[in-house]
Amino acid sequence: MVSINYATREVSCKIVYYGPGLSGKTTNLQYVHQKVPPSTKGKLISLATDADRTLYFDFLPINIGAINGFAAKFQLYTVPGQVYYNATRKLVLRGVDGLVFVADSQPDKMDENIESLNNLKENLAEYGYDLDEIPIVIQYNKQDLPAVLSPDDLRPVLNRTGWPEFKASATEGFGVFDTLKCILKLVLDKAKTGGVSPSQRSVPSVSAPVQPVPTAVESQPEVRMPAARETVVPHPYEEKPAQPVREPVLETVGQGAVAESTESDGDEYPKATAEANLENPAPQPSPVADIRPVYRPFPGNTREDEEQMSRPSPGTRASTEYVSMSDQIRKPRAEQTAASAGQSDRDKPYAVPESPRMAPPLKAETARKKRSFFKRLFGLK
Amino acid sequence: MSDDSLIIYEEEIERIDSLLTKLLKGAEAKCALLVDKDGHLITRQGFTHSLDTTALAALLAGSFASTKEIARLVGEMEFSVLFHQGKKDHIHMSLVGERSILAVIFDDRTTIGMVRLYAKETADELAKIFTGMTDRSQRGRAEVSADFAATAGNKLDDIFKD
Repeated sequence: MVSINYATREVSCKIVYYGPGLSGKTTNLQYVHQKVPPSTKGKLISLATDADRTLYFDFLPINIGAINGFAAKFQLYTVPGQVYYNATRKLVLRGVDGLVFVADSQPDKMDENIESLNNLKENLAEYGYDLDEIPIVIQYNKQDLPAVLSPDDLRPVLNRTGWPEFKASATEGFGVFDTLKCILKLVLDKAKTGGVSPSQRSVPSVSAPVQPVPTAVESQPEVRMPAARETVVPHPYEEKPAQPVREPVLETVGQGAVAESTESDGDEYPKATAEANLENPAPQPSPVADIRPVYRPFPGNTREDEEQMSRPSPGTRASTEYVSMSDQIRKPRAEQTAASAGQSDRDKPYAVPESPRMAPPLKAETARKKRSFFKRLFGLK
Repeated sequence: MSDDSLIIYEEEIERIDSLLTKLLKGAEAKCALLVDKDGHLITRQGFTHSLDTTALAALLAGSFASTKEIARLVGEMEFSVLFHQGKKDHIHMSLVGERSILAVIFDDRTTIGMVRLYAKETADELAKIFTGMTDRSQRGRAEVSADFAATAGNKLDDIFKD
């Protein structure tokens, strides 16, 4: 896109040299850089590999001076021609105002020319540009070599649209300036007339609305996702009326596992459960959101003990155990304490709702240390 | 002009420049460049005399573009902040609005945290200016004078002589 800066009174345009590998795009720029007056040109920057193959782009700024009070600046870019570098090639095309397609006139390079032209079309389409809407000049390069195809042979294949075309040899220099002058004039003409309707050049917006990250609370309905399975095999835990926030998540996973495993072979119970859990991993709410400080004066009972007591039937034992194990792996210790505390009603009076005296993780850690101390002291398992 | 051209007027540049100066003072950075994602330099402030700002703008935009592709490959939309650390000088780049990049060059007299803080503030304010600019350029399209192309054509013939 042409950039007009009224403050510095500059008009800036971007010209890209496109074409297959080794067709002479960089050589074109090098010739221009050698021959134009020093006041006109900037530094030629080449992002190339050690073997002098263009890796990202070559860049040559040209300032042709003030015209009607505006300095006309052109930025000449080349793309890496090798098929392998398509990702970077595409990036250079962003905001292009004019294109020079440098074709290799050697007979055995014809396929590469066609491939590159098609690739140009594809890459432009990704930016929402149309090859017919952008000023483009085609250059039949390497005409100094013996046994090359003439423009008459190349035209039917490469230039069916009738773009301006030039015979050239970038190494010897003929045709290079003609090509450049032609494309610069076309770009400036286009800049004057405006050319394209806005709908045709609607670039896909870079700042597409990002999906909002679900918070722990918002994700609750999604957590209950396998609702169909709940109806298949109702879990005994469902009869419990008031469950803490974390519990339905775990149980839902458990239910999915139970549903799947009962449908399959009963002997492979734990295995099927494991697979089901891998397939339906419970979404992880943020660990910070759920941490509640818990005061437990005699923490002799572990979570397993509580589960043992509240486990209603031996039939669901395997899956429940599995869930509690996976739960332990997934959740930080503090959350586990909070969840297990919320599980049985007798812990509830001890839960400190707000303004804990210590930061929650620290508190949980202290509780854990205390518990292990008492365990060791009284030989509890 | 094609409709998505970047057109910048003097009063906007003045506002942008004052914001950049404030950023430089606050963060004690060396210089700040505002660059279009296409590689055009919009404006610059600070000690830029020793720098080839045109080339710098093109390379910064290229760097940002390639980083965006990397982001896409790892499943991000875009990396909004980019930081290059050198021995003496460092560059902090951040996204401004949809189509510009704010690059701040600084040395060890300040810290990355300060630059980051001020750059974020400035980027937010710049984004507002750019939104206004887009609205305006959609309302009235500015054009360079009609004989611009013809005059330029003659000049091109003079310059590009074999």
